[in-house]
Amino acid sequence: MTTADDPMHALDLKAEVRRAMASLETPAPYGGSTTSDLSIDEELNLHSIGWEPVELVSGLSVVSVPWGAWNWGQGEISAASEAHEQAFRYAIARLHNDAAAAGGHGVVGVHIARSVHPRHIELALLGTAVRPIGASVVTEHDVFVSDLSARDFTLLMVSGWQPLGLAYGASFVYAPRRSVGAVLQQRSQNVELTNFTEAMYSAREGAMERMQAMALALKGTGVVDVTVIEGPMPFAPHAVEFASWGTVVRRATDVHRRLHPRMVVSLDDPVVLFDARTLS
Amino acid sequence: MGNPSGDLPEAVERRFAAGAFSSGLSVPDFAACLDMGFEPIGLVQGFCAMQWGWYTMGGAFRRGFSPYGGAPGDYLENYQCPHGMRSAEHRAWGQNYEQSWIEGAWREGFTSAYSRMLEEAIALGAHGVVGVLDTVGEISDLGVIEFHIRGTAIRVTGAPPSPVTPWTTYLAGQRLTKIFEAGYVPVSIIASVASVRVWASCITEYLLEGLGMSMWAANSGPAEVEQMVSARTAAREIVRAHARQQLDGDALHGVDVLVSEREFERGDMEIQCLLRGNRLRRFKDFDPLPVPQPTVRLS
Repeated sequence: MTTADDPMHALDLKAEVRRAMASLETPAPYGGSTTSDLSIDEELNLHSIGWEPVELVSGLSVVSVPWGAWNWGQGEISAASEAHEQAFRYAIARLHNDAAAAGGHGVVGVHIARSVHPRHIELALLGTAVRPIGASVVTEHDVFVSDLSARDFTLLMVSGWQPLGLAYGASFVYAPRRSVGAVLQQRSQNVELTNFTEAMYSAREGAMERMQAMALALKGTGVVDVTVIEGPMPFAPHAVEFASWGTVVRRATDVHRRLHPRMVVSLDDPVVLFDARTLS
Repeated sequence: MGNPSGDLPEAVERRFAAGAFSSGLSVPDFAACLDMGFEPIGLVQGFCAMQWGWYTMGGAFRRGFSPYGGAPGDYLENYQCPHGMRSAEHRAWGQNYEQSWIEGAWREGFTSAYSRMLEEAIALGAHGVVGVLDTVGEISDLGVIEFHIRGTAIRVTGAPPSPVTPWTTYLAGQRLTKIFEAGYVPVSIIASVASVRVWASCITEYLLEGLGMSMWAANSGPAEVEQMVSARTAAREIVRAHARQQLDGDALHGVDVLVSEREFERGDMEIQCLLRGNRLRRFKDFDPLPVPQPTVRLS
């Protein structure tokens, strides 16, 4: 693209700034106030595909984990897995309601703040509701929620795909105790602790299966930008967690639109620090 | 944000009259400033130290008496004990309420520091203040909070003094350039705070300890902690409402929300939400934009 093709560069910046400053001397023309946590780059990205930010929205949940759930046992810690599922479900439902009430068709750039405590699980979602410019209100059932940034949302839409919602899954599993004999035998060996390996595999399959089932329920083709959290629980080292979430996507057009990215080579020199040896 | 009152320290006036400018801008931000036709004229600052004398109003010493009545228009929710069992230890009621006196004191401290910064900017003949930074921190263990706001005052080269209060923004450099190019003009920074106090009800305490809906129902399944959800939701809604009141039809961009929680004692906590962003006004319609061209960097 040449400079002349790019309206942003065809501007007389100083003249624009003076025009902008002059507008402050008259009262604000009334318009519906919008709030968003998007940067100006992200808003320009949205605008380029005909979308606009509407309102900052949030949804959260706190769900209790029954006492004794983390004690030694076998198999999945179903009470914790269920609490995790409830926390996500309630928080997303509230985000849907908040976004629909604001006139949004979807929520992008959702920040997911999640913390798992011994007795409860907390989840807080915060994002910006967006809609096609000037579009009418939709119900909360038609609102999508995505943790993709506005830039990634733009890229997805340009390539002919659409986000459908968040899919998530989590599984908490006990790592079974080793027998006394096994502990004594392995004490001085460098060996795999199969009980932990198997627990991780079990947790992973449980979580991924749930996430995949949610993607299918949303009629999605796949899940992108999956976040994975796994490992032993800090307050119950004999229990392992596997949690994952991502944005469900589906092709919105008949065929995928190839983007044909242009290759660029930066002509900037890499940073060269002053080196006194070059003087000799 | 409020307007300045006009009582600069004598040393400040002497320093401003000295000639050379100071700024908090990086070199790239400085270059972008010049491109926009701005000249930096001084690093301007405002301070305010506030004592939180009323922080513990309505604290735990009141528990056992009737619930707090709340101020008119403030958020307030009561949670009655459903068990019908009363003892000195058992909580007969729980409550969520907005601490508007905390919000008011915070607003007063922030606005005073902001006004003092603007006062310096006006004394310099500034049109705006860019690259604003704000910090709020404790300066002693006596509950004294210091508000410090600073930024670089700028003047539009060759323009007459502005008849309106200087505009302010957290942005500087290329990010500010893009704001103008996109058809927005900064109006002011926006900061607001919400404070919600939670006195946990018996049910909330049981659920947070994993005991179910009563202390004998340990084996019941997971359940949502309604009081905590309401308090946290309210804190976020209140802070957004406070920010909206300052917009007057303008847009709020680049919002940052910080949530902090602290427990004073068991079952007595405060949820505080701090929201900051840039209030922008549209001065022209968006120019038609081409769809961004994807690139792959070869390096």
